[in-house]
Parts: sequence; structure tokens; C-alpha cells
Amino acid sequence: MALGGGHHHASKDYDHLFKLLIIGDSGVGKSSLLVRFADNTFSGNYITTIGVDFKIRTIEVRGERVKLQIWDTAGQERFRTITSTYYRGTHGVIVVYDVTSGDSFANVKRWLHEIDQNCDVVNRILVGNKNDDPDRKVVLTEDARRFSNQMNIQLFETSAKENLNVEEMFRAITELVLKSKRSQQDQLNQPAESIRVGSRRPGQRPAKKSGCCNK
Amino acid sequence: MTTADQMRIVEAKLARLLGSGPELGLKGQVLAEGGLIQGWVQSRRLVVVVGVSSGQYALVIFTSQTFPVGRVEDLAIDDVIPVDKELKCEIESGDAVLVNIKSGSSTKIMLEMLPGYHTQNFVAEIYRLTDLMRQDRKVAASSPSSETWLNQLRAAKTTDEALSRDLAQRMRVGEGRDTPTLDASPIPQPRSGSGRNTALVDLDADDDSPNTSLNRQEIALGGAAPIAARESVVKYQMALKEEQFTHKQTFTVFCGTWNVNGQSPISQVKAWLAVDEDPPDIYAIGFQELDLSKEAFVFNESIKEDEWQAIVFASLHPQAKYKRVKLVRLVGMMLIVFAKSTHMEHIHEITSETVGTGIMGKLGNKGGVAVRFEFHNTSICFVNSHLAAHVSEFERRNQDYHDICARMVFQNFVPTKSIKDHDQIFWLGDLNYRITDLDTATVKELLQENNIPDLLLSDQFLQQRKQRRVFTGYKEGDITFIPTYKFDPGTDMWDTSEKARAPAWTDRILWRGDYIEQIAYRSHMELKVSDHKPVSAVFKAGVKVIDPVKYRKIYEDVMKKLDRLENEFLPQVTVENTEIIFDGKVQFLETYTKTLTVANTGQVPVQYEFIKKLNDTSICKAWLTVEPSTGFIMPGEKSDIALELHVDKTTAGPLNAGADQMYDILVLHLVGGKDIFITVSGEYQKSCFGASINALCQMTVPISELSVGALMDLEKPPCTGSAISIGGEEPYPVPKELWFLCDLITSLGLDQEQLFLQPGLRKEILAIRDWLDTGLPVDKPDVSIHSAAETLLLFLESLREPILPFTLYGRCLDVSSNYLQCKQVISQLPQNHKNVFNYMTAFLREVIRHSAQNGIDPKIMATLFAGIFLRDPPGTNFGSGLRAKTNQQLLDHRKARFVHHFLINEPDD
Repeated sequence: MALGGGHHHASKDYDHLFKLLIIGDSGVGKSSLLVRFADNTFSGNYITTIGVDFKIRTIEVRGERVKLQIWDTAGQERFRTITSTYYRGTHGVIVVYDVTSGDSFANVKRWLHEIDQNCDVVNRILVGNKNDDPDRKVVLTEDARRFSNQMNIQLFETSAKENLNVEEMFRAITELVLKSKRSQQDQLNQPAESIRVGSRRPGQRPAKKSGCCNK
Repeated sequence: MTTADQMRIVEAKLARLLGSGPELGLKGQVLAEGGLIQGWVQSRRLVVVVGVSSGQYALVIFTSQTFPVGRVEDLAIDDVIPVDKELKCEIESGDAVLVNIKSGSSTKIMLEMLPGYHTQNFVAEIYRLTDLMRQDRKVAASSPSSETWLNQLRAAKTTDEALSRDLAQRMRVGEGRDTPTLDASPIPQPRSGSGRNTALVDLDADDDSPNTSLNRQEIALGGAAPIAARESVVKYQMALKEEQFTHKQTFTVFCGTWNVNGQSPISQVKAWLAVDEDPPDIYAIGFQELDLSKEAFVFNESIKEDEWQAIVFASLHPQAKYKRVKLVRLVGMMLIVFAKSTHMEHIHEITSETVGTGIMGKLGNKGGVAVRFEFHNTSICFVNSHLAAHVSEFERRNQDYHDICARMVFQNFVPTKSIKDHDQIFWLGDLNYRITDLDTATVKELLQENNIPDLLLSDQFLQQRKQRRVFTGYKEGDITFIPTYKFDPGTDMWDTSEKARAPAWTDRILWRGDYIEQIAYRSHMELKVSDHKPVSAVFKAGVKVIDPVKYRKIYEDVMKKLDRLENEFLPQVTVENTEIIFDGKVQFLETYTKTLTVANTGQVPVQYEFIKKLNDTSICKAWLTVEPSTGFIMPGEKSDIALELHVDKTTAGPLNAGADQMYDILVLHLVGGKDIFITVSGEYQKSCFGASINALCQMTVPISELSVGALMDLEKPPCTGSAISIGGEEPYPVPKELWFLCDLITSLGLDQEQLFLQPGLRKEILAIRDWLDTGLPVDKPDVSIHSAAETLLLFLESLREPILPFTLYGRCLDVSSNYLQCKQVISQLPQNHKNVFNYMTAFLREVIRHSAQNGIDPKIMATLFAGIFLRDPPGTNFGSGLRAKTNQQLLDHRKARFVHHFLINEPDD
């Protein structure tokens, strides 16, 4: 009799599995947002992400269990071409800037362009992190709001340090992804494809830009 | 390995531990494999029920090195749970079966098993034994002496724990898999002794997980699966915390039973169903002999069903609104369950079943019907039965009861549920047990005196229950009412017919389960239409009600914790340095090595591999090698990866020309986890090796004196033959380096035997390289002729473009048999290349002229230089196999023939 631990999978413990990607300049707090959301911790020590890491978190949205696989990317310029391969199969992209850094906000346009280069259609959300010290804030909410309206993208101002708006922001992008999945299902009336956990690798970039899941 | 074989191994193991002979009579009863859920993980176990001849049983849980079990030495005891009357086994179904073994109301262990024969067998055996324990008081209250074997087994558990830890460590450090015998490790080590276990974060510190603890080492060794059984773990954790999100709420349950003897319905039965002050929350009303017609018996059709149902519904307590939960009928047995309409939303998984125990065990004149459902978080089953009639047939009645228990299976559950698989069971009906040993007159006499207690002594049902022949585990309230059978219909007179049956308590109500209190048990004399009087019982039942807010909070906590665990069990490594810089100048042909140390700082074994990025065809640039490029690291261990930098004849060119840079990013991928970017960089010292003929001709100074930009400019328009010289002088007809090398060889003597055939010394070759690149020392370096000869070959091989350019490669091969045509090709070469070709062939003819001394054969020379003059264009692939080899040989032959013409003929010929 073949039976026992780990040799078969029990029933699926989620209704949806979504891949989210966090991008933005180096040092804006991408990893901190992820760690805050997945582990509910924060460390003041800055460790640059040299590579691409992910964590999972399962949340319930309107009675459905959504498992999120959230990828945190290196923000450094020199890794830009490599990280672009990780956009494949992404359901939602979180573009982060630092409200205390005008440069990081100015670069948001470049990051949005990066998304357009690598994905056809994908849900996006704009996040101004480190929103916990009014004295140091240089990117004003109204400016960010104007820009986000213009780009037709939802804006969240968060603080991973003070745990402000982090949960809400991740929920918002999840809802966006869920909504677009539903509307696609309604349109196509066929089951959505699912992604496999942890089996991704940056392979060949597709010939045409058809990277993200929302095709 | 069959189950029987495995059982023999288990028995041998236990006999060894107990040192027992046959007198103990130890025997394995049933064996199964399951995933033991511990805290937040599950790991594989063998579970065995064993018994001894004195009638005691225990559930023994083993760890094993292999599944199925192959050797006694592989087994170690993980836990011993005595099978006593407190032990309970519950089954939950999903994709896998969850077997929840409880002692009293608290979970002891939870096992995940596959649905199937073995699991059913295992669970059935535990049921059988616990029932046996409940029946047999003698054994349950065991004597101290008979517990010895259990204590011995428990003691063995500690020994085995130390043993398996020891074993695990041995396996980890790779000292082989020799299994130590029991005698070899007699002293249990303190639990906190080994560093690894304590160093880890204990997720369970705030948990009240029963019995077994989380063995992270086992996880690390791959023995346990932390995530695979996530759904099971969620169920287990929620079961453990049930009390935190549920509270007991008391509901009133009204049970009624009435054998109506096929009589037509009367206008209403409020005297039976609505006599209490407060309306009950749930009604379960059972009828027997509802319909004695042939139609009912043969076709199970009855018009009386609707009639009685309507009357019952109209007679429910007037102070509440009720909805029907379910109605089930088999011939004359009907059970209707009603609930207050406000409760309907909390009633789920409603289903009913019937069992006929009439002739052939099929017909429905006798048997039982049942309705089951979940009320809030408590499972409830109502059974209405009509057992065999006649005074002497008590054995038959017992049999009917057991048949109903065995055959009443609710099919729409996986695994299926039986009556016993419910938190609360209410059993009502005409059980038909009579009064024995007393004649009718005596019975009536006792009743006249209202001496119910004495009469009850002769109640067959109580007698059979006392002997534990029937309804074990059930409770019945004290009977204070007179027998409910047999009356002359329409009266309160005992049976006056010819048969003159003795009065009997045929109609009974029993219950089984926790948190049930009976508050009424009575008959209803007012209803006289039948030869039976109706009976009812009212219960206060404590039902587990889920607090949705608390439930949600706890569920989310469980999910969060599992997420955290899942994140923690992702492969994790630390790389000391992600920026590998090869400091100092990197020189042509030399090898530089740096070590990349990857430490597994996570909880699980890590499999890593360097992967290609973007459109690359290999994991790194050609001048770099990564060894090993894939590997496996155990938790807490490190792996060294060698990064070797070596610029050779193929990679030097692009680096010289600025087409490539000494900079690369490697992607270190952890299988099932993250990617780490490793940046590798160095500064390449440009060299004449790898430059183009054109660039070299324009360099009138050593290459080291040129700026990087100047070199790149020279290399930009390849082979245009433009005449801009660097260094202020006219460009040279051939590269000065070539001239220096040929001059060096000539000066060392062309008479040398084995010239061009014997390899040179590496150190000397590097010295020549420096001499050519820097112009120092001013004089020729002190080297052997063989080193000089090899350097010449290397220099020519490294040229960015071969002497005969790739564009002419095919043409050369085509005309190789014709010297004239070969010469024609040469005349088409760019001037520099033509110069170099003529210069080299002249030099080689000179070498051949000394063949008397150096023994050189023109054919060998032609073969040697063929591949240098005519380099295979990049991407040439002959494939593999015999055919490819033949093609290659053919090509080589043509190349050699082409070159040979020029070695044996002077250009003027």
C-alpha cells in the first residue's frame, strides 16, 4: 500500500493563485513591503536585493481564498535587463517609489514603460512608500494623485515601517486581478489558466510581447 | 512486502522490546500507513493496533526508515496510545481521509490516510475495540500488572527517539546508513542536547499541540512534508482550536415515537407534541405501523404519509414557526424532523437512509430509518426503528439493532458515515422488548400497585442492555410511566383480546453523545387511537455554535502561520559576496580562480543551478567557467563554487576589440525558490593575441602602449586595409609580432628536431607574450625553440580573423586540388592577409629546407598549419557519428592539400 506524507497532495487550499511583481528604484522599500505583508515584520537594516525573491501569502477576498505569490525584484539599474524576464506570467505589478525621493518618483514613468515593454495588459498599482515622516516627504500626494489619474492607475501611499496601508494596497491589487480574471472568464467563458508555484525560471523572452497572463 | 509481512516485522520489533515470550500473547491486529499531522507538518508513520492475551490493546505509532517496512531495525516507536473506553476515532473526509483519534473530547493524534480498504479496516478495528472496552468493565479497569507491557513500550519510545536522532545525524554527516542496534545506544540523550534542534525558531512555542512535537530535523532530511498536506493541517489546527471559536449553546430537542397500528389519522396530536411550556428547537417524530396496507408493504406507497405529516405539522408547538428538515419513510416506519425556521440556515448536509431488517434482511416491515445533519458545528443523527416482535424474539431484536447500526450508511460522504459517526445520536422507536418471566396477571397486579421499579426488573430491554448485548454506549432516562403497550384501541384498558398480551415498554427513546441532558421522558395516555400510547422525550442538547468573527480570526491566524511556515520552508541560501571582482589585470591565457561560497541558511535541502538569462545560450560568458554549475546543499552546510576566468584564443578577440567586456551577471537559481544575481568583473590586459592582422600592422608600438580607445578604433573597420598607423610610422606589411616570432625561431636554429611537434613550456610562452605585448625585455627572451614555435601557432590561431578569411573558406576548399586556382584565391586576399600568407609560407618553406636536420615532412607541416590558415568558420558543426567524422576528415584533407601546394612550390613557379 502506497500511502503517506508528502506522496500525494491534499485538496487545493486556494481558489486562485496569482503572481504579483514588485518593481521600482533601488531602496524605495520593495522588500520591506513584501516582508511586512507576508511576515508582518519590519527591519530597519537595509539589505539590497541582489536577485529576485518571492514569498507567499493567502488572503480571503469576498469568501474566496487567494494565494498570492509575490516576487520582489532587484531595483538596481544594472539588473534591469535581467529582471525584465521575470514579468512573464505576472497577474499584477506593483510599482513603488519613495515619497522622500523625487528621483524615485520621476523614474516611475520608466518603470511603467518597462511594464509596457514586457506585458500586454496587466493590472498595475502605484505605491508611494515611506509615507511616515511628513518632514521628509517631497513627493506631494496631490502631485502623485494627478500623475496616477493621468496614467489611469490607482495610487496608495504606504509605510512598511509603520504598517500603514500595506494590507489595503495588496488587497486592492488582488481585487483588481480578481476582477479582470472574472471579466475574462465571462468573456471567454472558459476556465482561466493557472500558474505553477515555484517552477518559474527566466527562460527565453517570447518573440512578441505577450509576457503577462492577462492576454 | 505484504501487510502480513510488515505485521510480522512489527511483532518481532515489539517482542524484542518487551523481551517477552509467548505468555504475553502479543499480537498485531491491524496495520496501516498514514501521514501523522504534527503541529504544522505531516510525516509518514506506520500505525498498528496490537493486543495481548489479557485483553488489552494499544495503538502503537512507528517511524520507519523505509515504507513499506522491510526490517525490524528500521522501526522506532513514536507514540503509544492505550485503547480504552475513552478512545474515540473520528473520520473527516476530503480528498484524503483524516482520522482523528481522540481521548474523551480532546484530539490525541490526527492521521491523514488514503481512502480505501486499509483505512476502513483500521478505523473499523478501533471502533470494535473501543466498543469492546466499553462493554467489558473488568478489562477497562486494568490491574497494575497488566499495564507493564504498555509502560515498557512507552519506555522504548524514549530510547527510540534518541536512536532515530542519532541515526538522522549519522545520515546527515554521511557516515553511512548503518543502522545501530538497540543495544548500541541504550542511554537516551537529553532532548535539548543536539544543537540544531534548539537553534531553530520554534513556531509552535505558543501552541498547545498534543503529544508529538515538530521535528524539524526530519523535515530537513526530507522525511516530513511541511506543505503538501496544507489542507489537512488547516483542518487539524481548526479542530484543535474548536473551543476557541465555538461555544456551547443549549437547544431543546423533542423526540417522539408512536406505533399507530395502521390506524387512520386523527384530527390533531397536540397532546403529544405540544404539551411543554416552551417550544422545542428541533422535533424528531417517529411512527411505526403507519400504514399496514399491502400497497405500503409491496410498493412503499402510502397515502397516510401525507395525512400524518399534515396532522403532525398542525400539532407542533404553536409558539414557534417550524420548517420541515427531512422526512423519511420505509413502509410503516416514518421519521419527520422539524426545526424552528430560524435555525434552518444553520442546518447543513441533511441526508436520510433506511434499513429493512424484515424477511431476508430486506423487507421494510421491520428495520430503521434515519435522518442526519449538521446543526451549527455539531453532527446529529436521529434513528427511528421498529424491531422484531414477540416476547421470545429478543435475540432477533438485538440482531435487528446491530444490523441497523452496520447497514445504516450515509452514502453521500467520503468516506461514508454511519450512525456512530455523529456527535449526538437520538434513537427512538418501537423496540418491541417485552416483560419476561412474569405472567400477564402478575404484571397487571404490579401495575395496579403502580410498582414500576419492580416491573422494570423484568424488562427485557434493560436486561439485555445490562448484559451489554445491545445499545452499548447509549443512555436512557428513568422510566416513570406505565407500559405503552398493549391497549384496547380507543381505551386505556390493557389488551383484552384472546392473546391477552402482557403490558410492555415497547416504545423507547435513547441517546448517545456529549452535552445531552434529558428533561422529560413520558407517555401520552390521551391519545388512544392505537394499541400503543405515544412516548416523548425532551432534551437539552449543547450544540457547538461557531462564532463567525472568532472563527474568521482564528482561521486567518492559521492561514497566516501556514503561510509563514511555507515561506520559512522555501529554500534559502546566503552568498557571502555577490560581486566577484578579479582584481589586478587579467592576462591572456592565464587562469584565475575565485570561490563563491553558498551557505544553506534555510530549513530545507537546497538544490541550486546556474541558469541562462535572456537569450543567452549558456549560463555565463565563454571566458568564465562555473564549477559545479548545479548542486545540492543540506541545511546548515556550505558549498564552494569555483569561478574560473580564462581568456583563450577564441575569447581574446572580442575583448580586445571592445565587442565584449569582462563583466557578466550569473543567475543562481534555487529550485523552487529565489534567484540570486552574481556579478563577475575584471580588467583585461589587452594583448596582441586576439587582435586582427589589420590592427596589428598599424601598430608600430607595443600594444600595451596603446589606449583602450585607440585599440578599439583600430579594430573598428575590420580588414579594410586602411593605412592609418599608430605610433607615427608607416604601417608594417606584416604584424611586427609575427616577424619577431619567426626571427626568434630562426635564431634558435631551424635544425631542431621535432620542431613544431614538441610542446613548449607554459612559463616561457607567457614570457614571450609579455615580450611581444610590452617590447620588454629589449633583447630576445631566453626561451626554448619549442616554446617559441608553440607561441607562433597560438598567435596565428588567436588572430581575430584567420589568414584566409572566412569569406574565402569555401572557395579554398573547392579549389584545393588545383594549385593555379589556389594561387588565384590568394591573389584576391586583402593586402595584409596576403602579406602574412606569403610571409608564413616562405618561413615554412625555409623550415622544410632544413628537413635533413629537423626531419620535418612537408605533408605533416601542411596538416599542422591547415587548420591555422583555414580556420573553420564559427558555428561549424559536423554533428556526431561516423558520417560526421568522415566529413571532418575529408575537409581536413582538403585544407591540408591547399596549404601543401604552397609549401612545396616557390611562388614564382
